[in-house]
Amino acid sequence: MVERIYEDLSLVRRRAAAVFRVIAVLVVLALVYYWKVQILEHKKYWGLAEANRTRMRVLAAPRGLIRDRNRWILADNRAAFKVSLVRENVRDPEASYSAIGRLLGVDAGVLRARVEAYKSVQLFEPVVIADGLGADDVAPIESRRLEFPELVVEAEPQRYYPGGSLAAHVLGYLQERTPEEIRAEPARVLRLGEMVGKTGVEREYDRVLRGQDGSVYEVVDSLGRVRGETARESPVQGGDVELTLDSRLQALAEELLDGREGVIIALDPRSGDVLALASYPTFDPNRFITRFTPTEWTELMSDPLSPLENRAIRGLYAPGSIFKLVMAMGGLDFGYVSPGTSVYCSGSMEIYGAVKHCWFEPGHGAMNLADAIKNSCNIYFYQLGRRLGIDLIAHAADRFGLGKPTGLDLAGEKEGLVPSTDWKSKTLKAPWYPGETISVAIGQGQLQVTPMQVALLTAAIAMRGAPSRPHFLKAGPPQPAAGRPGGRDASEFKKSTFENIIAGMWGSVNDGGTGNGAFVAGLDICGKTGSTQTMSRESAERLARAGREIKTHSWFSGFAPRVDPRLVVTVLVEYGGGGGATAAPLAGKIFSLFKAIEGL
Amino acid sequence: MMIDRRLFQEIDWVLLGLVLLQALIGVFFIYSSSHFLAGGYHVRQLVWIGASLVALVLVLVIDYKFFVSLAVYFYGLTAVLLAVTLVFARFIAGTKSWLTFGLMQFQPSEMAKIVMILLFARLFADYKRPYLTPQHTWLALLLSGIPLGLIILQPDLGTAMTFLAIIGGGFILAGLKKKTIIVLLLAALVLGVGGWNFALKSYQKNRITTLLNPLHDPRGSGYQVNQSKIAIGSGGLAGKGFMKGSQSQLRFLPARHTDFIFSVIGEEAGFLGVLTVIGLYFLMLARMFSAVGKARDRAGVYIVFTASVLIAFQFLVNILMIIGLFPVVGITLPFLSYGGSSLLTSFVACGLILNVRMRRFANV
Repeated sequence: MVERIYEDLSLVRRRAAAVFRVIAVLVVLALVYYWKVQILEHKKYWGLAEANRTRMRVLAAPRGLIRDRNRWILADNRAAFKVSLVRENVRDPEASYSAIGRLLGVDAGVLRARVEAYKSVQLFEPVVIADGLGADDVAPIESRRLEFPELVVEAEPQRYYPGGSLAAHVLGYLQERTPEEIRAEPARVLRLGEMVGKTGVEREYDRVLRGQDGSVYEVVDSLGRVRGETARESPVQGGDVELTLDSRLQALAEELLDGREGVIIALDPRSGDVLALASYPTFDPNRFITRFTPTEWTELMSDPLSPLENRAIRGLYAPGSIFKLVMAMGGLDFGYVSPGTSVYCSGSMEIYGAVKHCWFEPGHGAMNLADAIKNSCNIYFYQLGRRLGIDLIAHAADRFGLGKPTGLDLAGEKEGLVPSTDWKSKTLKAPWYPGETISVAIGQGQLQVTPMQVALLTAAIAMRGAPSRPHFLKAGPPQPAAGRPGGRDASEFKKSTFENIIAGMWGSVNDGGTGNGAFVAGLDICGKTGSTQTMSRESAERLARAGREIKTHSWFSGFAPRVDPRLVVTVLVEYGGGGGATAAPLAGKIFSLFKAIEGL
Repeated sequence: MMIDRRLFQEIDWVLLGLVLLQALIGVFFIYSSSHFLAGGYHVRQLVWIGASLVALVLVLVIDYKFFVSLAVYFYGLTAVLLAVTLVFARFIAGTKSWLTFGLMQFQPSEMAKIVMILLFARLFADYKRPYLTPQHTWLALLLSGIPLGLIILQPDLGTAMTFLAIIGGGFILAGLKKKTIIVLLLAALVLGVGGWNFALKSYQKNRITTLLNPLHDPRGSGYQVNQSKIAIGSGGLAGKGFMKGSQSQLRFLPARHTDFIFSVIGEEAGFLGVLTVIGLYFLMLARMFSAVGKARDRAGVYIVFTASVLIAFQFLVNILMIIGLFPVVGITLPFLSYGGSSLLTSFVACGLILNVRMRRFANV
């Protein structure tokens, strides 16, 4: 045993000591590296840790309310929930789609298509996969949060139109921004799934209505579960927009049109306030609030009657006999006729080698200007047209703003067309034939106007030349945008000219004229009817002889009272037949309600 | 009573104190990183520490010569158990390393580490040459190769590496000639290349490629290292405070209470905490290695040295691994990480060191 005690272990001990020295050096090197990471690069890793745990979530701002002139709410908000999918947190897409599909009652394929449409957008951006849900709908999702880390349920103020389709064409509708639009927006003003105004006031005043989205910085764990929040910026609701519309007139206008394609416009000629604008067929904008109605949407889009189109500003029609007002104004003002100039109507006449008929086949007899307007005599205006020539007619129409956008604060207005020799040689590269002037003289031919232009023409006559720009914003018309002509120059006509025309319009409604149907006792309504041939009179007669009923578009446009006018009403009923029979009584009902409201 | 008062006085209380201090620091940070989970990990760890301490005492009271004399039988038993494990164990976390006996679960591969320490002591107890002869090299390679191979087959890369460290420690102590080193390195290279192409699982390859570029797969194997580095780096000088580390409290840090416990310390206690714990650990290791000089015989030197290498290697690999300087191989931080079998092995290894040291004057 003594031998063992003196055993020489120095070699192995030296080796062990060497190994320990190596370990010591490695420990020191490790410490140096910890120093580098913890002290020198601390800021970088601190930032990464913060980014790890904080998530910014957008709090959607409720849109501003839209009210009518009496502060009745036309567009409101209501509480709803939406469910979004964060692709970053999806482990197995197919399993996820089918499980979520079962949970939400959506087809997995639809879900996949929806999510894949957002391929180009960053993975952490939530894609909305269901919306407009009530608290009861989201309860089962919330209770299974742990199973679906990829789902985010958020409250979202949702647009609600309490009147349903009331004033739908004025209010417009919202639609979700497409992924393409979001990508094209480098400033990222828009967030994914945001609903923006697509048409109408919702679009025109989107910047006012939209409001300021808030944000909340939340602390999340590695599974994305929220553990608290560090900062919150509350959303600011969008500004309210008060419209010039009067819901009562609007509702009546829509009721009157129900079932027939057409337009009713009521506006205040003094201020340009549009009190009612109805276009039929219509739609319920509540149906576009949700992001998911592909079938209803395509149905509406492909409906041949195009219910989404606002016919008041986008429908192009020949003005028909309404245009006789422009003819009369030009003829008188440019000195081609005087108020007393008499033309004999025998029911037909030969002009430029063709026989033209008056709508009243027996003939009106001798007519002065006021009578010709009152009875809407074609023969008188054929003669006048021949005297004026197309370019002076175009000049008069131009003063009333026909063939030009009215500058209404509603996007998508169509221009229409007032033909002239200049126009024809430029666009058709052909000379103007005098025979064409004859059609234009009674508001036919290439002439095309929108009902809003007709309303503005009527307002110009009512105001004796100085109408205000029509608009929907109660605070007054916004600054005219570039490319939107503002003021009219109907004031270049002599005041006396207007009075002569107005006398004829008064007679039309109050003295047994064509506009008799619009008569309201106690209200001096001045108006003019129009019946627009949708084909030439000759072929229409041929068809009529064959026993087929051909209905014309039916117009009425007028104002009241005769002195200090306060209301212009323009009615167009597509295929409504004679203007006197169909459109004028509808206008009369609007006038009559207005009289009741205003206590006239 | 196999332990008398004189022996009791020879116990290295400083080392034992340092070990217990590390274990208690571990419990604190296990609590911090898992208090929000069901399971009471800190309590279970305390129980394990108690049990390990009992094991340590048991190891202490019996003279290490007795263990060394039984090393061959232990070896045979371990080899059988490892083989049985490979056949009967169910996969847990992708490996077959756990054996279940009723409610008891244990890892024969942990036991193999201790057995290997004793076997080398037995093998070289009377080996007085300055360098290993080829015959001894082959014998040692064969004896260590069998359990190593069985562990690699489980496959448990971390334990296999630790096992390699013990073998390497034994070989270094026994003395390797340059020629032998070159041959062994070449053999390792051939085995490595062959293993990479034919034996390694893809997750293991991933772990190694992740070391080279941790960002290439931030959601996969690089995720752990990235999150760990973020935790450590964001701790800064003084740390975010106990139970206030966002990386650990919000569960971004994987395996917080086990392999990555030191990341929690780095995040919540900062560089000062890291310095303290590493400093204490270094003192502890120094104390362990110092026992080499106190051992009364060659077997004791081998036991103390390989046991110290076992602890030191795991410590180094762990602190380098969690900061991205070493592949994530699943090696725990001895004494600090949560886990019963790891604690038990470390305490038993420590018990062997204490055993050798306190019997330096004994003449048995």
